[in-house]
Amino acid sequence: MTEMTAVPVARTAVGPDDGAAATPNRPPRDWVTVGLWIALLVTAAFWLVPFAVMVLTSFKSRADLVSGSTLGLPAQWLWSNYADAVDTGDLWISGTNSLLVAVIKVPLGLLLAALAAYALARIHMRRAKWIVAVFAVGSMVPIQVALGPMFQLLLKANLLDTYVGLILPYLAFGVPYQVFMLYGSFRAVPDEIEESARLDGASTFRIFWQICCPLIKPTLAALFVLDFVSTWNEYAMASTILQSGSMATIPLAVQNFSAQHGTDYGPLNAFIIMTAIPVLIVYLLFQRYFVSGAFSGAVKG
Amino acid sequence: MATATTASAHARAVRQHRVLRSLPYLAPAALLYGIFLLYPMIDSVRLSFFSWSGYATAPQEFVGLKNYRYLLTQDTVFWTALRNSMIWVVLSVAIPMVLSLLMALALNQRIWGRNAFRSIFYIPSVFASITVAAIWRWIYNPTMGVINQALEAIGLGDLAHEWLGDPRTALYSIFVASVWQGVGFNMVLFLAGLQSVPAELVDAARVDGAGRWQVFRNVTWPALRPTTIVVVILTIINSLKVYDLVVGMTGGGPAQSSQVLALWSYQQSFSNHNFGAGGAVATVLLILSLCLVVPYLAWSMKGDD
Repeated sequence: MTEMTAVPVARTAVGPDDGAAATPNRPPRDWVTVGLWIALLVTAAFWLVPFAVMVLTSFKSRADLVSGSTLGLPAQWLWSNYADAVDTGDLWISGTNSLLVAVIKVPLGLLLAALAAYALARIHMRRAKWIVAVFAVGSMVPIQVALGPMFQLLLKANLLDTYVGLILPYLAFGVPYQVFMLYGSFRAVPDEIEESARLDGASTFRIFWQICCPLIKPTLAALFVLDFVSTWNEYAMASTILQSGSMATIPLAVQNFSAQHGTDYGPLNAFIIMTAIPVLIVYLLFQRYFVSGAFSGAVKG
Repeated sequence: MATATTASAHARAVRQHRVLRSLPYLAPAALLYGIFLLYPMIDSVRLSFFSWSGYATAPQEFVGLKNYRYLLTQDTVFWTALRNSMIWVVLSVAIPMVLSLLMALALNQRIWGRNAFRSIFYIPSVFASITVAAIWRWIYNPTMGVINQALEAIGLGDLAHEWLGDPRTALYSIFVASVWQGVGFNMVLFLAGLQSVPAELVDAARVDGAGRWQVFRNVTWPALRPTTIVVVILTIINSLKVYDLVVGMTGGGPAQSSQVLALWSYQQSFSNHNFGAGGAVATVLLILSLCLVVPYLAWSMKGDD
């Protein structure tokens, strides 16, 4: 699978262009580009305001917030807000919980989804398509549709407020989307590659693990990022299943923090910034897979 | 005759062999999916025909369509939630979708700072919705919030407002936060779709003297059609799922003015201890989702035996 980079629609937009000299009646494209750039700059400025507010607020004292403008610089940079946030928000406890859940759930879920998608795409069963469709439906219904009975189920199984009780539903809700995406990728693997491996005596699992999975690495990487981010950020299910403070994941900790210390805006914003760092790191590490791998399958490219 | 029989017997054996061979691969995912997603989903529909407080010891009493009659005739919050969810769907298809398409078209050009722009627009979507809610509650703060301060600074102090505390503006204020958060993801989908626009066709059109608009109208837009369908479907589905932002910003208030279906289903079950009504709202939500999902799947799996 080749990694594509974005192909510019209008290649003639910027830079020296031999064609421009040949056709003197062309519209002055550079002005359009400049206008576009200014529009982007203005939009980006609006998009950055919430970040600026967050960062500036995280360094301000309460007195500073009351007296000055929210977008002004702090009178005194209060780094202690970060230390306060770690203490009052139990950052380490919720961070450990979230990390534990993500580290187990994300690779395991991706593996299970890949196995299932591989079987559906490559072992030519009748009605495989129907099974894919049944999986896909699950990826598109709102979680709330299942929360009530899910709570009852976990209550009966004595799994409420446990890691297992959270990870099992997380796996179930992650699998359908991933099966749907991976099914498309596995189908794109040429039959000849698999056949020649089979002639060489490779087992089905070996073909899956050593031949097909490496070929669809961009999709797997993109799904890994998406799944890590959505697992780290999940709130609705966690708030239903987890009850004690010592089990709280990061989104629950943010919500608890803002409910209990809602007026400590400095520490609250410091807390929010710290909780977003792991997903930002993952995003930056895997950024290059984003436009290329992840969605070319999704959009039937 | 004899060979035909052995041939079909052989084919059957191969088929059975395939099913058996695929089972170990398929079973773990299928079991999890069945137990923790399909079963609770179907059980929600079942519960919508029962009256139940949710306590394990309390009896579940079959009441037929009573929960639905209650929703449609007595539960005024349900209608508000349904209306708000529909408003959300329409606004989402109109505003962030068009915005994200424009952003993708602009950022598909070789433009200075392209990667920085892409990151700025995309990064809000890696934030947890519940976090975005906390950020925007601060932005909407009546006295210290940046919006009211900015309005005063530019002499429009009269417009300063308790954005989340006013029933007329609460829903739309939450929606603005969702645009900020969600537009980047759609932008990336459109950017991916733009890769399927054949560059030769664009060049050919340009050589023939087509302007920007003509190239977009006749080459880019038709090639983007499949992407657009995916984005529309995802947008509508995500609109029906809106929950975290509302919980984090208003909890459905003030006076239920920003209530949405997903949250109302949850509150009927868990806050009001009326799992029957909660199941009925969930069923309505499920039917709305399936009305979209089933045709979409039929389209997306077509010609893909």
